[in-house]
Parts: sequence; C-alpha cells; structure tokens
Amino acid sequence: MYRYDEHDTTLVRERIEEFRDQIERRMDGRLSEAEFKPLRLMNGVYLQLHAYMLRVAIPYGSLRAEQMRVLAHLARTYDRGYGHFTTRQNIQYNWPALTDIPAMLEALADVEMHAIQTSGNCIRNVTADPFAGAARDELEDSRPWAEIIRQWSSLHPEFTFLPRKFKIAVNGAGEDRAGIRVHDIGLQIVENARGQLGFEVWVGGGQGRTPRLARKLKDFLEPQDLLSYLTAALRVYNAHGRRDNLYKARIKILVDALGIEGFAAEVEEEWSYIRDGDLKLPAGEIARIRSFFSRPELTGPAPLPEAGPAAFRAWVDTNIRPHRVAGLSSAVISLKPIGGTPGDATAEQMDLIAELTERYGFDEVRVTPDQNLVLPHVRNEDLFPVWSALREASLATANAGLASDIVACPGLDYCNLANARSIPVAQAISQTLDAEGLAQAAGEVTIKISGCINACGHHHVAHIGVLGVDKRGEEFYQITLGGAFGEDAAIGEIVGKGLAADDVPPAIARILRAYLDFRDEDERFIDTLRRLGSDAFKEAIYADLAA
Amino acid sequence: MLTSQLDHATRTETSAQLESGGGQIVELPGESDWREARDAIAGAVQVDIRFGKFNDGRGFTLAAHLRERAGYKGHLRAVGALIPDQAQFLKRVGFDAVSPDRTDLAADWARAEARFSVVYQPAVRGPLAVPAKRIESGADLAVLNARYGEADALDILRDAVTRTWRGRIALLSSFGAEAAVSLHLLSRIAPATPVLFLDTGRLFAQTEQYQRELTQKLGLTNIRILKPQASDVAREDVDGKLWSRDSDACCAMRKVRPLDGVIGDYDALITGRKRFHGGERMKLPAVERVNGTMRVNPLARWSAEEVQAYFRRYDLPRHPLTDMGYASIGCWTCTAPAHSDDVRSGRWAGQDKSECGIHRPLPVAAE
Amino acid sequence: MKTLTANRLTDGRVIYRTVEGQWSTELAEAQRLTAEEAVELLPVAEAEFGIAVGPYIIDLDKEGPAGQKWRRETIRLAGPTTGTTHVLGAA
Repeated sequence: MYRYDEHDTTLVRERIEEFRDQIERRMDGRLSEAEFKPLRLMNGVYLQLHAYMLRVAIPYGSLRAEQMRVLAHLARTYDRGYGHFTTRQNIQYNWPALTDIPAMLEALADVEMHAIQTSGNCIRNVTADPFAGAARDELEDSRPWAEIIRQWSSLHPEFTFLPRKFKIAVNGAGEDRAGIRVHDIGLQIVENARGQLGFEVWVGGGQGRTPRLARKLKDFLEPQDLLSYLTAALRVYNAHGRRDNLYKARIKILVDALGIEGFAAEVEEEWSYIRDGDLKLPAGEIARIRSFFSRPELTGPAPLPEAGPAAFRAWVDTNIRPHRVAGLSSAVISLKPIGGTPGDATAEQMDLIAELTERYGFDEVRVTPDQNLVLPHVRNEDLFPVWSALREASLATANAGLASDIVACPGLDYCNLANARSIPVAQAISQTLDAEGLAQAAGEVTIKISGCINACGHHHVAHIGVLGVDKRGEEFYQITLGGAFGEDAAIGEIVGKGLAADDVPPAIARILRAYLDFRDEDERFIDTLRRLGSDAFKEAIYADLAA
Repeated sequence: MLTSQLDHATRTETSAQLESGGGQIVELPGESDWREARDAIAGAVQVDIRFGKFNDGRGFTLAAHLRERAGYKGHLRAVGALIPDQAQFLKRVGFDAVSPDRTDLAADWARAEARFSVVYQPAVRGPLAVPAKRIESGADLAVLNARYGEADALDILRDAVTRTWRGRIALLSSFGAEAAVSLHLLSRIAPATPVLFLDTGRLFAQTEQYQRELTQKLGLTNIRILKPQASDVAREDVDGKLWSRDSDACCAMRKVRPLDGVIGDYDALITGRKRFHGGERMKLPAVERVNGTMRVNPLARWSAEEVQAYFRRYDLPRHPLTDMGYASIGCWTCTAPAHSDDVRSGRWAGQDKSECGIHRPLPVAAE
Repeated sequence: MKTLTANRLTDGRVIYRTVEGQWSTELAEAQRLTAEEAVELLPVAEAEFGIAVGPYIIDLDKEGPAGQKWRRETIRLAGPTTGTTHVLGAA
C-alpha cells in the first residue's frame, strides 16, 4: 500500500490547520454560513438532520490494520460507537461536533488518512476495484493510478469550485467493479498491441435525477498523459458546464448538449496544447507509486477448504472470490446482517477486523462499492479461523452478492436531502427474503435503495431498485427493474406506481418467486429479466395489491 | 487590496503606466470565453476578472487560459465576492492581485496566501509541484532502490518487466561475454520483452553469430537491432577510421545516437552491468536515471563467480571469444583480450576511456 | 401552529426557538407561533449570529411535529427510527 512521504504528510497537516482556522472564522463571523458551507463540505463535513456528519476518504477503498483501528477509535470517541461505510469507498460518522472535527482529522493524519474532497463541487475521492491487486481477472492494478489522481486532484487551484461534484473511477480488471460507466470520468485499463497499458476513457456517467451511462471518450490514452488529459477534460467542464441549474450542472448534461464528438473535440483541442507540458507524468513517479502496491507471493499453496460446518461451507460458497495467486482467496465480510443497517460497523467490529487484517490478511482490508469489506489476501487454510472470528462478531453473514446484500443510502433517518427512509426498508426486505429462503434460492441479485432522487443508494443500477419518494407527508417507494452496475451497465426502468413501505418486501419476494418460475435452468435473475422484459414481472409486483 | 509579491517588475511598470494615465484597464466577467477575452484585452495593461460568486470557479480557468494560452503578461487582478481561502489558488492560476468585496480581512488573506507549502499540480505560478520535486530529489530512485536493495536478480527483473514498467521497458544487450545471464533471466519471465542490440557495424563476426544462437536457444521473440544511420556514417566516418582518431565521436555515432533514436519508446532500460566491472560501475545502484530514462541493473551486486556459476547451472553457451581471453566484448576496432583481472581492461585499451557513453550523459550525444 | 427550528452551529444538534429568543434542544420549550408571527420572526433569527444554522419554520400540533414534513421533523426530534447501530443482528 502507498505510504506518505514528507510532502503528503505536510499537505494533510496544513489542510487541518486551514480547517481549524475556517471553523474559528465561522464562529466569530469572518465567514458566513454560505461561505463556510462549501469549505466544510470540501473537508467532508455535512450538516445532517441530527448533527454534523464527517465523511472520511478511504482512497481506492484500501486500509491497513492501524488505519481501521483509528476508524474504530473515532467511532468510539467522537461518535456513538459505529460508522457507516458508503458506496464510494468512504466512511461516515453521524454524530461528531464541529469543534471535535479537527481532532478527528489529526487522528486520521497520524495514520495517513484525511477527509479532503469527500464532498463539495470538486474532484471527489477516486473509486477503484476493491479486489485490485488480488482479482484473478485483473489486467493491471488500478490503485497506483487512483493514488496518482488522488494527489493531482487534491487542492487543485483550478478545479476546486466546479459547477458540481466530479467523480472518477479506475478499473483494471475484466469485470468492472469500480462502476466506470456511472462516474463522471471512468478509466478502464487496457493493453495495446505492443503490450503497453493505457486507459480507455469514459465520460458523463452519473445517477441522480438524470441517470446517464458514460460514453466512450477515448480508446487509448497513454499513461504518462493521464493528468494532462484529465486537466483538459476538467477545463472544458469548468468553463462550459452549466451553473444556472443545480440539476443540470453535472458533466453528463454538458456531454448531452455538445454530443460526445463535440465534447471530445473540445477536450482534444485543449489537450493538444498542454499534453507535452509539465503535466506529463514522470516515469520515475509512476514507478515510485507503483512500487508500493505489491501482492503476496506464496509457497506451498493449499486448496479451498471443503470440510467444516455447513454454515462455514455456505460462507465459502457465497463470500469467497478467486485470487490470482494460487492458495490465496479474497473474503467478503458482509456488513449486511439480516435486519441490520447496510454498511454499518461498530467500533468493536472494526477492531476485530483490524486484528484479522493483521493476523491473516497481509495487513490489507478493502471497502467495496456494495458497502461491504473485503480481506483481499487470505491463505485458504486461514479461511476457517477467519470465519470463526467473524461469526463471533456477527460479521459472517453468507450473502455477498445475494438479494439480501442490499445497498442503501442513510435516507431520511439521517440525511438532510432525503424524502423517505431507506434503512428500515432494507431491513424489512432482508428479513422477508431470509425467512422464505429466497435470497439463497435466487442467487445473484442486486437490490439497491435510495431515499431520494439523488440516488446515493444507486437504485438506478440495481437489478431491483427501490426509490423513496414523499407524497404529502407519506413515504412511497418506486420499483425499478433491469439496472446493472458493471460492464453490462444499464439504467433500470420504473415499473408502475409507488408502493407503501410495508408493501415493498412482499412485492420483492413475489418478483424473486416469479423469477424462480420463469428461469431457464441456471439462468441468472438479470438474464431472465432481460429475456422476458420487466412487464413480465409487473403482475408479480402488483398481484396482491389490487385486492 | 492585497497584492502578491510575485511578478513585481510587471506590476511596477503597469502601475507607473496607470498613474500616468497611459494604460487601459479591461474588466471581464469570470464566465468569459477565453478566446473572446483574448481579443478584448489586446493592448490592456491591467485586466480585472470579476467573480460574481466566490464559488463560481470559471474565473480560475479563464486566468490560466489568459496566462498559458493567450500569453497575457500584464497585470491580472481578481475582483468581486472572493474569500481569503482562495488566495493561493488565485495566485497559482496567474493573478497578481485581489480586490475582494469585503475589505476588512487583510490579515486572513495574508495568512491564507502562505497556508500551503506543498502543491501537487504544476500551475502558472507557485512552488515546484510535488511530482517534479520528487524527481529532482531522487525520491523515486530512493524508493525503488530500497525495494530492490536485497531482492535477487530474478525478482527485480520480474517486478520491472511485469509490473513497474510493464510494456515500457527493454533490455539493452551487447550479446557480449556475460550477456547470456540477463537474457536467460529475461527469457524465464517474459521472452517477448524487447531486447535492444546495438549493431555498430564494427562487431566481431562471432558476436553476430552468438546473437543469433542465443536468441534462438532462449526463445527470445523481440530482438530490436539498432544500427547507425548510413548517412551519418558516410559523412562522419568517410575512411572508416573515426575510431582511431576520436573514439568518443565514433561511439556517439555508432551506439549513443542509434539508442537515442528509440529510447523515447521506453521508460526504463535493463542493463547487465555489474559492480565488479570496476571504474564508474563500482557504485552501481539497482535503479538509476540516465538522461531522464531509468536504468535497471538487476545484476549490479553479482560477483564474477556468480556469473560463472549461472553459466554452468543453466549450461549457457559462451561467446566464442571468451576462450581467447576476451572478458568484455565491444567493437573489434576497440576491444582486446583483457590484460589483467580487470574484465573491462581490454576495452579501449591504452585510452583514458572506459565507457562508450550509452550508460551516462555524453555531451556529444545530443544534437 | 408553528415554531422555528435550526441546527446548533457548534455541534449540529437540533434546536428550537424559545419565547425568550434563545434556542433550546427541547421541543417543549419552543415558542408556539402563528403563521404570521413565524414569518415575521424568521428574518430576525436569520440575522442573528453565532448559534443557529439555517433556521426555518415547521408545523406543530399538540403531539409534536405536524404538516407535510411531520415525519422528517419527528426524526429530527427523536433520532433515527432504526436506532443507532450497536449490535447487529445474528449471523
């Protein structure tokens, strides 16, 4: 994993001093709330329904054990004993006081972490494949590139007051687990005929009110040109992105307006002017950053365990992913216990995970866009002790990738923007599906819930999406079908009118039962849905409601 | 009003012009298109860019465009609803001065302007960006050498070829006396990696034969043979005796320039150099930088005995001239059998020269 | 019936406007206002400096928060309906 040098450390420390000063100026009136708000957001500080919220960046989702311990310490000391892992590889604390935040940032800086640009109209924390460096289908580790972008985007003098937020994802594997088609810019690492690596560049993806899948901007970008090209794209966006309407300010709207060819032409024009300048990445810097990201080598690899208790074998079946090194596996730690809050972990759980990370995980643990954690490198013979320890802490739910592995935003229980609650709906759905054994029976299904149209719960790209809306003080939930997140990315379609909260879990159970009836042999849910169309499931959704 | 100390000369000159009533001041809104702005400010001695809202960042890109693309050198001032926290950003994109609407915060502006000592991005102005600082201080080499310090040659080579410089690295081989070791190591990892072979036109016939034999035996599939430009040879070495008059010029034409011609295709070159070769090589690190290109020396720490043991272990063919006492083999014109334990003593024997120049900066190398 | 609510600058906690023109975390201490009074008082509260962030008007009835935003305001008053995460469900 990357380690800070004196420059990185200095910047993070100077940034904390700046924020301390900003808080002081807000308190004595030198900064108004209107001025302070964008500044605190760029330090990850929101003002939510009940309190301030601090969003801490977990760059490319990667943590060492000592960093996880500090996350636990923050939960215990400044929060109410828990933290919430998000879909964009951050962790959120829901209860800190504004005046405690500089101390929290100091504790984070001690372990090379920060909250810089986890919100605000700037370049956000960069998302990467949570299985980077471990996945069997990987072409190239995406983390060094995410780190290079993290540094370049931090306190950028030109791009700190953009029209709207700007999210970048990097994926280096065959399967897209970073979501490059739902980011403002997505970078897919590809190899050219000469065996050289480069980036396929996608632009204009995003969810929210106007969901768009990113369009391809460039077939092959040389790695040393990465930052000059991103600069060119951001310049075009900063100069021409709309600022008159909050809902039309994302880059996807600009790409719509100019057309992908028109947008590409603007970027190329700007790029031709700057590509051979100071932004060209020095080969030594690329090599330096890459050299931090190694993967373990093994002698005497053991096979996957086949014996053990049934609960352990079920966990191995659902939560273990293949590793590129024989004898190692990646283990998903589900933060989706049946009836729990998706993505939440208590301080005690975080401490335990830190211990497992250190003892069995080659000192690495990752955060996934599905709000789970992953131990990317575990020896096969260690899977049983890992599972046993996780089980003691209610962290061994065998549901990674199943319908009960639900993604949900905090919703109206916490969020200032939400129209409806998400967490109780997620809890009820997982309980209903679990009681009927439907999650296990239906296999690979994604369910994602957002409490408003901002779509932080990613409902647009779920096989089954649930969107909370408010109608005159009552919560209703619209179901969407057919969305997908990865390389077969798709935006789900709204199916019929909204349901009351209590009607959502049984409706989803009926959808899954209908799938089990309709499917051809081993056909996955999404394939059956694509074959038959969402209308085939409409009857199931509304069946018992007519009465 | 707060003014930056940067670009002091320009500011004084402009102020004098302004005071004498000579200059033109143009005010532009931050949302202006930079090409239209360029035309509008022709002849201006001062340009004011107005920010209607502090969080409308268009003025930052406009300033950068006026400085970088329109080539505007005059006084540039930011005016409007700006806040102190933007001081350094404004300065770095090219503003000389700020005139914020709120005028009672001079101390905050001054403090904010000195806030950050570290920047990651190159910009119109400001401190050297961190990536360039790291190269300047050799931090990249320090990290790589620390990493490769205790690693064995095969691990260094594997990391360099399959990860750190994947697709952007080549092995530079003379196909000389010891070359089979690094070529064999490479063939165990990635036999399609480019191998650069400098055919100077003055090689021993045995070297050419050995090159073909080794390539085939090791299954190397990507040999790139680099020859001197025929036109250079015709012009600079009419009688074929340049080597005897000016061996540095001969090496430059036959080795350094042909390599320079392709070096841009790679971020790093692997060499087979070893410390025991003596001379400048005694302090050879695992990774170094030569004229901006990284050199990886996986065998730097090997002894002569280890080299010989490797030949025996893998039963590698020997260069035919090694039996005749040649321990290091270059061009026939400038190579003799070694006359001592110093393996490179037969290279440019009798001259004060021990390197051809491809491994270090040579003043004659660049046109 | 109306009152003014906001979040406290120092710690973000939910606060209500009191009769004395102070702010309290207790809804019971909130000043009950008519619609007209609330509209008049809001700019006063907005102009004050240092305690409240983003004051706005909410509907109340005898039970507590009312009107179209009753659920949101009830959650602000009472905390997340899911409780706070201490022990997650069994594996």
